[in-house]
Amino acid sequence: MVAVGLVAGALAFGALTAGAAQVRPPATTTTAPARAEVAAGAQLYAVACTTCHGTEGQGVTDRGPTLIGVGAASADFYLSTGRMPLDRPRAQAERKRVAYSAVQIRQLVAFVASLGAGPAVPRIVTGSGDLAEGNRLYANNCAPCHSSAAAGGALGHAVYAPPLNRATAVQVAEAMRVGPGAMPVFGPATLDDAQAASVVRYVQYLHRPDDRGGLGLGHLGPIPEGFVAWVVGLGAMLVAVRWIGTKT
Amino acid sequence: MSSRQATEGRMAALLVTATLAALALAGVYIAGGQPQAEGALLGVSLGGIGVALVLWARGLASEGTVVGERGDLAGDAADEAAVEERIEEVLDEQPGRRSVLRLFWAAGGALGLAAVFPLRSLGPAPGRALLTTAWYRGARLVDVNGRPLTVGTLQVGGTLTAFPQGAQHAGDSQVVVVRVADGELRPRPGRESWSPQGYVAYSKICPHVGCPVSLYQADAHELLCPCHQSTFDVLDGARPTFGPATRSLPQLPLAVDAQGYLIAQADFDEPVGPGFWNRD
Repeated sequence: MVAVGLVAGALAFGALTAGAAQVRPPATTTTAPARAEVAAGAQLYAVACTTCHGTEGQGVTDRGPTLIGVGAASADFYLSTGRMPLDRPRAQAERKRVAYSAVQIRQLVAFVASLGAGPAVPRIVTGSGDLAEGNRLYANNCAPCHSSAAAGGALGHAVYAPPLNRATAVQVAEAMRVGPGAMPVFGPATLDDAQAASVVRYVQYLHRPDDRGGLGLGHLGPIPEGFVAWVVGLGAMLVAVRWIGTKT
Repeated sequence: MSSRQATEGRMAALLVTATLAALALAGVYIAGGQPQAEGALLGVSLGGIGVALVLWARGLASEGTVVGERGDLAGDAADEAAVEERIEEVLDEQPGRRSVLRLFWAAGGALGLAAVFPLRSLGPAPGRALLTTAWYRGARLVDVNGRPLTVGTLQVGGTLTAFPQGAQHAGDSQVVVVRVADGELRPRPGRESWSPQGYVAYSKICPHVGCPVSLYQADAHELLCPCHQSTFDVLDGARPTFGPATRSLPQLPLAVDAQGYLIAQADFDEPVGPGFWNRD
């Protein structure tokens, strides 16, 4: 099994190095450690990814899309959220336990980035961004699908927008730049880096929002709040009314 | 007697608690405030006063059930006769029954006339306002902050809500702009030039009951209305593929001007939003 994987990896890597030159010129000069990282990533890729994404990242019809030009941001998003590897190719990729170590993810990301130029992993400066602007941008662009409290929501075709409560700052920024799955892409010309940082900061704020009332009730909005008000509040009042009306 | 003393003791305890809670509430408020603590203290204070009042009232109320006998509703025949006689008398004192009855008719008629005027409050006739929007030939598309959209604003798979420049608050004019890969669209006859470089704009107002169609599923190229799950195929002129909507989203004819800005070629070629009485 391992031997087969290694052979496949070697073959894939050979094919890759042969094909790489014509796919794209490297954007930056590749240093030796970076080359080693790409090589290690190619090994991992050959073991787990080729069935759906093809031996050279060209994609396989009805299984997986091409990875040429998706960029480091996309690979890092899918791998660091556990969405890849995916066992059922056409299913919606869901957040789950991460399959690779941080080092392996870096290697795979380096390999995917080497396939073709695409968005790099965004750099997020902690605490940057304007919370109020983030709120406005989030309400305009994100809340329709992810809900105003980032609790997620249903879409068509049995697809859903995931809750954002576990998304890290980098993952939120990556999702905007990449547009994974059903999500539209919000490129730098749509939301510039400062605006993206504001959205990221607001989504991080939504992880622990300032619930002035005390109980968030799942942040699902007026329906659970009204339910609690009617059942608990009115129920208590009915008990009180009954007590007042009882003869001693 | 002892039960009365016990009640008084309970009332005193409740009122002291209410007083302390109110003072604590003031203290918490002065110290900067904490919503949950303030709410709890206010509840204890008001609740203590309320319960004490109830206890007091229950102490005042007499024991047992008291039944108050009600008198006969119907008067006797003599009373009825007297009332009738009096009515006859009053009518006879007037200049004449006929004129009194006429005055009744006049008052009723005037009231009816007055009731007709509130019809005016139904508002001015909308005229052509429902048939047109703020879009015009050459209007630049701007985002909610007034920033104009250029051909580079969206990547393929991106989306943005846009308004006509200068009318960012015209609710009937908002469009959802989507960019798809060039050549992916299947434009309807006569609309071939409406979607430059994969940019396509549809009215954001659902033709079902007018919700904002703001959910874009980029992989399926479908717009989804969050209210009743009407789904529209972006590649096929926003034809409804699921849900209660029966009409396609009106499409705004787009063009790119010499400076690369996205502009409208004209207003929508059909009314936006849900149907109305004289739409067709």
